[in-house]
Amino acid sequence: MLSLLSISSFAQMPSVKVDNVKGEQISTSSLLDDGKPMIVSFWSCTCKPCIMELDAINENFPDWIEEADFKVVAVSTDDARFTAKARSFAAGRGWSDFVQLYDKNQELMRAMNVTVTPQVFVLDGQGKIVYSHTGYVPGSEEELIKAIKKIK
Amino acid sequence: MFVAFLLVAGGALAVAAERPDSEDEAVENKSEKSRGYLSGSFETNTTLYHKDVKTSATVPDSKFGSNNYLKLDYYNNRFSAGIQLEAYSPVLVGYPAELEKAALTNYYVSWTDKSFSVTAGTFYEQFGSGLLFRSWEDRALGLNNAVMGARVSYNYKDIVAVKALWGLPRFGMSFSDTQVRGADASVSISNAAGWNNVYFDVQGSVLSRYEALDADSEIDGCKANTTGWSARTNFETSGFYLKGEYVDAGLKYYYNTSYAGTGDMYYKKRGNAQLIETGYNNGGLGVGLTLRRMEWMGSKIINSNSSTSNMLNYIPAICTQYTYMLTTLHPYSARTGDLTESFRNSGELGGQLDVYYNFRRGTKLGGKRGMKIHANFSNYYTIYKEGTFAAGNVLFRDFSIDWEKQWTKQFKSILLYSLQQYNPSYGADKNLWTSHIVVADLLYKYSKSFSTRLELQYLHTKADRKDWVAAMLEVNFAPSWSIYVSDMFNHGSTMLNYYNGGVAYTRSRTRVALNYGRYKAGYICSGGVCRQIPAYTGLNLTVTTSF
Repeated sequence: MLSLLSISSFAQMPSVKVDNVKGEQISTSSLLDDGKPMIVSFWSCTCKPCIMELDAINENFPDWIEEADFKVVAVSTDDARFTAKARSFAAGRGWSDFVQLYDKNQELMRAMNVTVTPQVFVLDGQGKIVYSHTGYVPGSEEELIKAIKKIK
Repeated sequence: MFVAFLLVAGGALAVAAERPDSEDEAVENKSEKSRGYLSGSFETNTTLYHKDVKTSATVPDSKFGSNNYLKLDYYNNRFSAGIQLEAYSPVLVGYPAELEKAALTNYYVSWTDKSFSVTAGTFYEQFGSGLLFRSWEDRALGLNNAVMGARVSYNYKDIVAVKALWGLPRFGMSFSDTQVRGADASVSISNAAGWNNVYFDVQGSVLSRYEALDADSEIDGCKANTTGWSARTNFETSGFYLKGEYVDAGLKYYYNTSYAGTGDMYYKKRGNAQLIETGYNNGGLGVGLTLRRMEWMGSKIINSNSSTSNMLNYIPAICTQYTYMLTTLHPYSARTGDLTESFRNSGELGGQLDVYYNFRRGTKLGGKRGMKIHANFSNYYTIYKEGTFAAGNVLFRDFSIDWEKQWTKQFKSILLYSLQQYNPSYGADKNLWTSHIVVADLLYKYSKSFSTRLELQYLHTKADRKDWVAAMLEVNFAPSWSIYVSDMFNHGSTMLNYYNGGVAYTRSRTRVALNYGRYKAGYICSGGVCRQIPAYTGLNLTVTTSF
């Protein structure tokens, strides 16, 4: 069991194909190109707490970006029927500062073992998971900036 | 054929292992060497049922139901492998009955590099929007139609992507005897031409399905092999997008229930669908229009089985999927064709329009903290005459508008109005149930870690069980605790309360939730696909954890 735990401590973002905002397929490994830490948040049009969490991040983003250099990746897990809706939805929420990804057959969701949303990860510049949390209640977003600031 | 395919896959894998790839090596050097890492998840959804005379609640003999999933994945650079174990002891009330006992249901090994991947074992896949073929997992529906076989994919730069697969779709706890073979390709014209501000691609798929036939259907001219295809295109520039998809799903055979020894034992129908998605998203405005027409598009793993989890493609209802209790009483399911003696309908046609707008902070209407509005109109009809675009009876119609406003740092409100029209005969006649629903969703943050959320809902209708009223109060202590109580009361007809309450605790990636309540018979919908559930009352424990 100990050896399993030591293996799992290196968990990182796997390389999976997802759609970007243009509908073009890209590999998640390209997110590491700029070496910036990132908040990765899984959401869907029918997940109210996910939307509240991304709104809270969006609200705080102008302040947080002054404290640390990082990016926010919003991964929509909506099926193909809602991919178009999710894009319009993201525009209508004003999430223009986020990198928007569309995981329409939940490949990335499964690869990162996300079973319930909201699910949020903080990754360092090499893609290693340094913080993760399931569920959102108002106020939890403060944990994210704390985790980002801890990354050296 | 399977052996031949595996040989090809294995050969390709060996070639890939030999290929020098400097970018991959760079990634490899960055990551932890050799040991790799393990990721996994566990979920249990367990209910203790009891009698409830007022709702005629279903109580299984065991008085207990439990759905359990354990998934483990190991990653080491380009290599990954994983398993999934499922146990139903027994399956929860309302889930497909073929889910029973325990089994190692899914297992795979996979190799992925920048341009090449090969998977042997179980895998999930989707061609285009999934109208032709989709294999996926949706635990809320009790669906997992992962394919057991092999899949190879290759992409040349960001221009060409191709994939091919072969396998046996999973049905229930094992793999079916049905075989699927498919291929999918996409070519990015804009990337090939080096256009910067425009994205344009063309895509195509083909899927062949084989299921051995019984002697009767062979005599009647049915074929064991059916082949379908789809062609697609995708265009985007400066926030404007246009997507189109045409599907010819091949021949489908429907048993003639009134067959009496003469005439055709089977109806032979050609499945076809047309899908257009277009819209514009920019600067706080999001507009999306989806139009879809389809005939005979149901695609089953096993033709003679009628389980809700028996599907090989994805044919969702394209309309708003609500989360508020009273807005989901009459959900719409897409129609894939009816062939009864009294009613024939080849499918459905319709669409939806969404408009989202964000009034930014500092503008006149946005005020200090911004304001968001959203409107949706969805409208679906039967097909008046098979093979045409003529609309028949209304199947479902919904107009909704919601308005969200952050009034102060502490207080936010969402107001929703929805006008829904639902055809209880699935289009056989023109009779519609019309409902007006209003919802107020009020969030108040007392401090950074303490908040409450109150939902007040009312549904007015002259049809079905007349008027309903509902309320929900949620108390949250960030980041770990959440407690709620709710009640849904039918004061128009049955005078029954559907009460519910629960507590949830979250720590890191573990969530434990305990709920007690009374649930009405109806539908559970996920991803636009619904399954019917009976009434039940009981105590539910859900634990999810992942690492």
